[in-house]
Amino acid sequence: MPSVTLKSENLESEGPILEVHFLIPSELEKKYIEEKKPIPEPVIIKSLIDTGASACVIQKEIPEKLGLEPMGVTKINTPSSKEHECYQYFIRMVIPSHNLIYEGAFIAAPLEGQNISCLIGRDVLKSGILIYIGYANQFTLSLL
Amino acid sequence: MNKNILAEELETYEKNKQNLLRDNRGKYVLIKGKEIINVFDTQADAVKVGIDKFGNSPFLVKKIQEVDTPQNFTSNHIKVSLPCHQ
Repeated sequence: MPSVTLKSENLESEGPILEVHFLIPSELEKKYIEEKKPIPEPVIIKSLIDTGASACVIQKEIPEKLGLEPMGVTKINTPSSKEHECYQYFIRMVIPSHNLIYEGAFIAAPLEGQNISCLIGRDVLKSGILIYIGYANQFTLSLL
Repeated sequence: MNKNILAEELETYEKNKQNLLRDNRGKYVLIKGKEIINVFDTQADAVKVGIDKFGNSPFLVKKIQEVDTPQNFTSNHIKVSLPCHQ
């Protein structure tokens, strides 16, 4: 099972943050290659692993940069809002250095603060392992 | 006000919801415009067929269930004020 282990001096204050690459879905990439269309460059951003998020959220601009169209609509509840409708996009998330790949639906919403452009939620964690070693300022994420 | 890009697909789902619930509860339906394309066991399978048939154009993949459960977030990072299509 591919995994990434990171150390952070600010793990307590910042949380488990990692750099990820967002790409168009693999099926769409195949289609673009067949049609000789240019493949959009990966969007590289900082993500926070958030066990308080039932699903993954990305900054609204990411699917725009990848030129993607929505494949769903869902409602979200946050501490300050209830049942807001948001688009869902099917996207590939990759940590290339560690061969971690997840492909699935991401909810597009405005994210603010700490340069976080993605919350990695429990829909990703359901197919993985998260080890958080607070006293060592270290965490490990493994995905099937 | 901008129209929801998937408004037509969502309307199609609502019109056919009872039939879909009767025969395919818990599965994923792929809808394009007024047409129900097919029903799949997984979301990924439905998206794969959607991309294969329609490429990078909007289509709806929706779990067939009586009541849609909202996704929940405890984080203050998300700042929503208006629905996505406005």
